[in-house]
Amino acid sequence: MSEDKQALIDDAVDKALAGDMDPINNIEDRVTRSKAKAALVKAKRAKPKTEIKSVASVIHEDSNTKSKDTIEQIVMTSLAKSFSDFLDGEQNSGWIQIKAENWFGIAKWLKENDDLYFDSLQCNTGIDLGEGMLESRYNLHSMKHLHAIEIRIKVSIEKPDIPSVESLWRVADWFERETYDMFGINFTGHRDLRRILLPEDWEGWPLRKDYEEQETYHGIVVPKVKEGWE
Amino acid sequence: MGLLENRFDDNIVVEKLDKLLSWARSTSPWFFQFGTACCAIEMMAAAASRHDLMRIGIIPRSSPRQADVMIVAGTVTMKMALRVKKLYEQMADPKYVVAMGSCATSGGPYWQHGYHVLKGVDLVIPVDVYVPGCPPRPEALIEGLLKLQEQILEGRPLTRKTG
Repeated sequence: MSEDKQALIDDAVDKALAGDMDPINNIEDRVTRSKAKAALVKAKRAKPKTEIKSVASVIHEDSNTKSKDTIEQIVMTSLAKSFSDFLDGEQNSGWIQIKAENWFGIAKWLKENDDLYFDSLQCNTGIDLGEGMLESRYNLHSMKHLHAIEIRIKVSIEKPDIPSVESLWRVADWFERETYDMFGINFTGHRDLRRILLPEDWEGWPLRKDYEEQETYHGIVVPKVKEGWE
Repeated sequence: MGLLENRFDDNIVVEKLDKLLSWARSTSPWFFQFGTACCAIEMMAAAASRHDLMRIGIIPRSSPRQADVMIVAGTVTMKMALRVKKLYEQMADPKYVVAMGSCATSGGPYWQHGYHVLKGVDLVIPVDVYVPGCPPRPEALIEGLLKLQEQILEGRPLTRKTG
C-alpha cells in the first residue's frame, strides 16, 4: 500500500474516532475504504471501555475514600444509616445476614433507593442448615447499576416466619411458593401461599433434613415396596 | 386387501367369531396420545414418519374415550399418578397398558430417593407390556407394541371363562 493511502486511512480513522464518519464513507476506492473501516474497528477495540458507573464508585466519590469497598460493605453502611439492629450474627464479605423482622422494610428500601436500586430479584432459595435452623437466601440484582448482593435470613424450624416480598418483586410469588413447598418456610403476607410442585394434600417438607416420606398417598404406596428387586 | 386376496376359495372364511374379534382388535390398537416425561419424545419419534407406527395399525388418539392402548411414556409422579388412574378409568374396554421406560416400569432413577415418584405404574393400573430402556428406542417400543398385538390376538373375548 502506498504511503499516501495509508495517510488517508489514518486521517479518516482519527476523524471517525472523534465522531465524524464522513471521511471514511467518502473514500472512493472500495478496498481502501474497507481497510479504513477495519482500522477503525481495531482502533475502537484498543481503546479502554468506559466503565459503567456503579453505586460503588458513586459512593466512593461522595465519601472521598480510596479504599475499594465491596457492594456488600456499601449496602451495609448505607443500611446502618436507615435501620438499626438489622444485622444477624457474623457478617461475611460475600453476603449480608439480616434479621427476619425488618426484612420487608429493608427490601423495600433496597428496591426503591436510587443509589442501590435492586429492581430484580434473581433467585430465592431455602436451605436447611441443621440444628433446627432454616435459611432463606435472596439474590438481588440491579439492572440500572449492574451490581448484585445476596441477603440471607435465618429462622428457627419451630417458627419459620419470614415477611414475604411478593408484593415488591412480583417474581417472588413463585419463588416463595417453592421455598414454602420444599422447606415449609412461612412467608407472612404472601397473597397466595400454596404448594407449587407437590400436590396440595402432601404431608411434610421434603428438603428438610428430618423429612420422612409418608407411607401412602391416596392409597398408593409411596416408598419403594418391591422387595427382592435389589 | 393383499392379506386376504386369493387366499380363500369362493370367498368363504370359516373361523370362530372369537378369533375374528381378537384379530380385528390386534390390528388396530389405537393408543392414547399423552406423555409424562422424556420417553414421550421417543414415542413421538416412533409415531412419526421414520418409524411409522401407522403401518402396523397403531395411531395416536387425543381422547381416552377413543383409545384402546395407554402408553405410559415417562416418569409418573405421585401428583400425576391420580391423573393417570383417572385417564385409565375413562378409557373404554377393552383397554391395554404399555409401561414405557424404566420410570414407568419401576421408578427408574428415582427408585431409592425419589419420594415424589410412583415406583412403577403397575401400582396404580394393570400393565400388559413393559418396555425397558431409558428411554427406549422407537424400535424397542415397536417391539413392545408387537408383543401387545400378540397378546391381544391370543385373547378370546367371547369365550366363557370357567373356574
